[in-house]
Amino acid sequence: MLTRRRFVTASAIAGAGLAAGCAARKNSAWEFLSEKDARTLTAICDQIIPADDFPSASQAGVLTYVDRQLVRHFQRFQKAYIKGLNHANLLSRKRFSLDLAEATPQQKLQIVSAIEQQNPEFFELVRSHTLQGYYGSPRHGGNREGVSWRMLGLSEPPIRGSAQYDLASGSRP
Amino acid sequence: MKRWLIICGFAICSVTLLAVGVTQGASLYYAAGHGAACADCHEMAEYASAVHSSPHDNATCTDCHQASLFTRLRHIQVHLAGSAPETIRLREVDVRQMIANCKSCHEHEYASWRAGPHSATYTEIFADPAHISKRGLMDDCFRCHGMYFDGAIRDLVQPQNTRGPWHLSHPELAGQPTIPCQACHWIHREGPPETKPPARISVAGPIVPQSLGFFDRREGMHFAAATLAIPTLYDGPRQLKASPDQRQAICYQCHAPRLPEANSTAAANHWGPQAGSGDDRTPMGVHEGLSCFSCHNSHNESARASCATCHPEMSHCGLDVEKMDTTYANPASKHNIHWVKCTDCHQHGLPRVKCVVTVAAR
Repeated sequence: MLTRRRFVTASAIAGAGLAAGCAARKNSAWEFLSEKDARTLTAICDQIIPADDFPSASQAGVLTYVDRQLVRHFQRFQKAYIKGLNHANLLSRKRFSLDLAEATPQQKLQIVSAIEQQNPEFFELVRSHTLQGYYGSPRHGGNREGVSWRMLGLSEPPIRGSAQYDLASGSRP
Repeated sequence: MKRWLIICGFAICSVTLLAVGVTQGASLYYAAGHGAACADCHEMAEYASAVHSSPHDNATCTDCHQASLFTRLRHIQVHLAGSAPETIRLREVDVRQMIANCKSCHEHEYASWRAGPHSATYTEIFADPAHISKRGLMDDCFRCHGMYFDGAIRDLVQPQNTRGPWHLSHPELAGQPTIPCQACHWIHREGPPETKPPARISVAGPIVPQSLGFFDRREGMHFAAATLAIPTLYDGPRQLKASPDQRQAICYQCHAPRLPEANSTAAANHWGPQAGSGDDRTPMGVHEGLSCFSCHNSHNESARASCATCHPEMSHCGLDVEKMDTTYANPASKHNIHWVKCTDCHQHGLPRVKCVVTVAAR
């Protein structure tokens, strides 16, 4: 039988666990990625879509897109991302004794090219998600303020007047 | 049996009191932290961060957002279950509650909006016989009216025909506005505090306010006015001169032209979208090139007293333009003020000499 003492103890443990869980999650601004993972992924994504007259992949919110989807529709890719990002840092440290995020743009390009050769599945995964995030709907977290649509010259939201039918008379005014 | 009932009643009361106490305590905690505590939660971090870069930086979350006890408990449940949506959006009821909070700081703008057609209610738009019998009900209505309503047109109005009589399925919406503040204002938008323009400025207008943004129901998000398109319009085959005032891009989202109708002269000659088609009111004729904001107040849409901004100094004939036979003086006039041309009156050609009229002479 659940005594009052046990109930109080269990409540305290649950409360503390909850608080600890929340506190632990506060360490990262992301839902799935750690800060380090996010910096590594930024380095890769920004080599796939670098900034020019328009924002780079990370500036356009691609990381937000990937991070949000990794705890929703892309849960099956969580392991692939963790493994792939660790591999990317490993490659960078081996070649330049630096984490990928700290490398120069030229070094980053070399590493990303190496990933494309050595880990094509992961590269294709990131490339695909980068393009989805950059060109997809902003409602999913990427394409901040529809920036890629403006780049493509798309008028979004479209300007379209409503039909002016006079249904009562059966004709158009 | 009685003892069990007392125990159960006591337990229910205790749990309820605990829940209320915890929730109220949490609310105080969040309010006291100037929004920082709200940002502790992953789901809210982005939104809390955005508002701290916006003109509303000095406001706390609870200055604008209200939440009932039930809503707060739901937030906790969603947070613990990890079932937050990809993009957190305000519900229609949240938006309605916010209007009163907007008013508490922006009283003048609120009064202005309330006095004009942009505060039209659900009854005035969705249950007006004169309107619906002619135009019909369609989901596209929600693009510009009731854009935050969660459902389809059939969920709001019945019957779905042009005979009526119509009634709202949600009677509580009857007197509520269909174009709330958040239809045209993006509150969390980054930017410095805004200042009011000194006066109506014709043609170019001031810099686009950061908060000006169109809420696109389809995407469930705002698009900044600065990023929206201004259409290229034609008067017959001739391309019209358009004001570069980017603020009017918001107006064009609803007061929008249509592509030429099939079998029309414009379509047969491959002319572009015609000014005045659909709900468009782009100025042609003597007012060509003016911005919507050159004449209209943004909140109440009124154009009263706007003529004096330019006339009689810029008038060709020096007459009192406010008394001319246009829809400005008389809504039944056949000369729409948006499209009135000199040749509407001077059908045999314009006078050669421009009349010189001074302000004093007027």
